[in-house]
Amino acid sequence: MAATPIPLEVRNIKKRFGDTEVLKGLSLQANKGDVITLIGASGSGKSTFLRCMNLLEQPDEGDLYVHGEEVRFKTTRRGREPADWKQVVQMRAKLSMVFQSFNLWAHMTLLENIIEAPIHVLGKPKKEAIEHARALLERVGLTARADAYPAQMSGGQQQRGAIARALAMDPEVMLFDEPTSALDPELVGDVLKVMHGLAEEGRTMVVVTHEMSFARDVSSQVIYLHEGMVEEAGPPEEMIGNPQSPRLQQFLAPKY
Amino acid sequence: MLDLHGYGPRLLEGAGVTLQLALLSLLLAVVLGLITASAKMSRNWFAHRIATLYTTVIRGVPDLVLMMLLFFGGQIGVNMITDWLYYQFDIDIFININEFIAGVVTIGLIFGAYMGETFRGAFMAVDNGQIEAGKAYGMSNSLVFRRVRFPQMMRHALPGLSNNWMVLLKTTALVSVIGLSDMVRVASEASKATREPFTFMIVVAIIYLLIASVSEWLFARLQKRYNIGYGEAD
Repeated sequence: MAATPIPLEVRNIKKRFGDTEVLKGLSLQANKGDVITLIGASGSGKSTFLRCMNLLEQPDEGDLYVHGEEVRFKTTRRGREPADWKQVVQMRAKLSMVFQSFNLWAHMTLLENIIEAPIHVLGKPKKEAIEHARALLERVGLTARADAYPAQMSGGQQQRGAIARALAMDPEVMLFDEPTSALDPELVGDVLKVMHGLAEEGRTMVVVTHEMSFARDVSSQVIYLHEGMVEEAGPPEEMIGNPQSPRLQQFLAPKY
Repeated sequence: MLDLHGYGPRLLEGAGVTLQLALLSLLLAVVLGLITASAKMSRNWFAHRIATLYTTVIRGVPDLVLMMLLFFGGQIGVNMITDWLYYQFDIDIFININEFIAGVVTIGLIFGAYMGETFRGAFMAVDNGQIEAGKAYGMSNSLVFRRVRFPQMMRHALPGLSNNWMVLLKTTALVSVIGLSDMVRVASEASKATREPFTFMIVVAIIYLLIASVSEWLFARLQKRYNIGYGEAD
C-alpha cells in the first residue's frame, strides 16, 4: 500500500534580497495534522519563509513538494522561477493562506469572498459553494455578516472571515502569516479560538506567530528562526518550557 | 421655437454620426489604454519603450494635425501598399480610406494614450495584498485580472475616464475637417446656406450638452457601482 503523500515539504530554501541573504537554507516537513509554528524576531525571515511555501516569494534555491509532487523550477536571466506556472496555480489551490492584513477582497461581500475561489478556481457549482460558505460562516461565528463588505467589519471579523475563505478551499495545508498581529488585543482571542479549533480537528497548519501561548498550547512543533537560520526546533513543551539556546531564552524572556 | 429651415433631420443624422463616432472611439481608446498601461507596467523592456513612444508622440502633437496626418498620410500609405501589391503580385485593389473609420482610428489612438496614463495610475493604486490573495488562492494571472485587479482598478480609473470621455466627445467635432458629416459639419453647411449661424450652432451646443449630461449621469452610476464596499456608496 502506498503511503499517503506528505502534505507539504520544503528543503534547503535559500532566498536573498539584493546582497542580504534572508533565508540561509531552511527545511520543514508538515505531515498530516501537524501544526508547525514559526517564531522569531522581526527580520528573522519567518514570513518570507512562509511566503516561499506558496511561491509568493521565489526562493533562489531549494525544493518544494506539495502533496508529494515536486514543484519544478528553471533558471532564466532574471533568476530562478517556476518552470510551469500552471503547476504553481494548482499547487497554490491546495495551500490556503491567511494574511496578516486579512486581504479580503474589498469589492466583494464576505459571502462572495468565500465562494470566489471555490467557484472560479476549483470549479465548484455555485449552489454548493454557497451552502459550504454558510456552514463555514456559522463555524467562525459570522452568519450575520454574510452580506457585509470587509470595510464594514472589524479586524477580528475580517480575519475570521478570511479563515472561512481559506477553509472553503478544503486545503491540504493552511498557511497563517501572523494572523493576529494587526488586531486590537481584545479581538485576538476570537481568532485564536477558531485556529485552536482547526488544530483540534486535525488540520495541517504552518503558522507564523508572535502568540507564544498559541505556540505552546496548539503546535506539534515549534521552529525558532534567527537571521534566516533555524536556531532551535522541537516540541513546544521543550522549546518554550526549557529553551536551550541563549537566543531563544532571551527571546522568550519577559520584556519588562 | 427655432426655425431650422428643414435641416432638422440632417442635424439629427449628424448627431447620430457624432455619437457613434464617439462611442466607437471610446471603445478603441479603452482597449488601447489597457494595452498601453500593461505595457508600461510590464518588465518587458521593448513593450515599455514602444508604449512610452506612443504616449509621448500622441500627447505632444495637436489632435487636428494628427487627424490630418493619419487621414491624408494614411491614404498615401495605403496607395503605396496597393501599388506595390499590383507591381509585385499583379493584385489589383483600390482601398479608399473611409472617413468614419479614419475618424474612429484617429480619435481612438489619441485618447488611447491618455487612457493609458489613467489606467496605469489606477492599476498602481490597487493594494498589492488584494492581488496576492488572488494568487495565493490559485488564481491564474488572467483570473486575478478579471476578478480582482480590473474591478478594483475601475474605482480609481473612473474619474479620469469620465474626464477623458468628455474631451473625446468634443474632439469628434474635428472630424468635420476630413469631410465626415457629423453634426458640426451639417450645422456649418446649414449656417452658410441660411446665414443663420447662431441658430444652428446653438442647437449643436445643446445636443453636445445633452449627451454630456447623460454621460455624467451614467458615470455617476458606474462610480457608485465600483465604489461598492468602500464605504462611500451603498
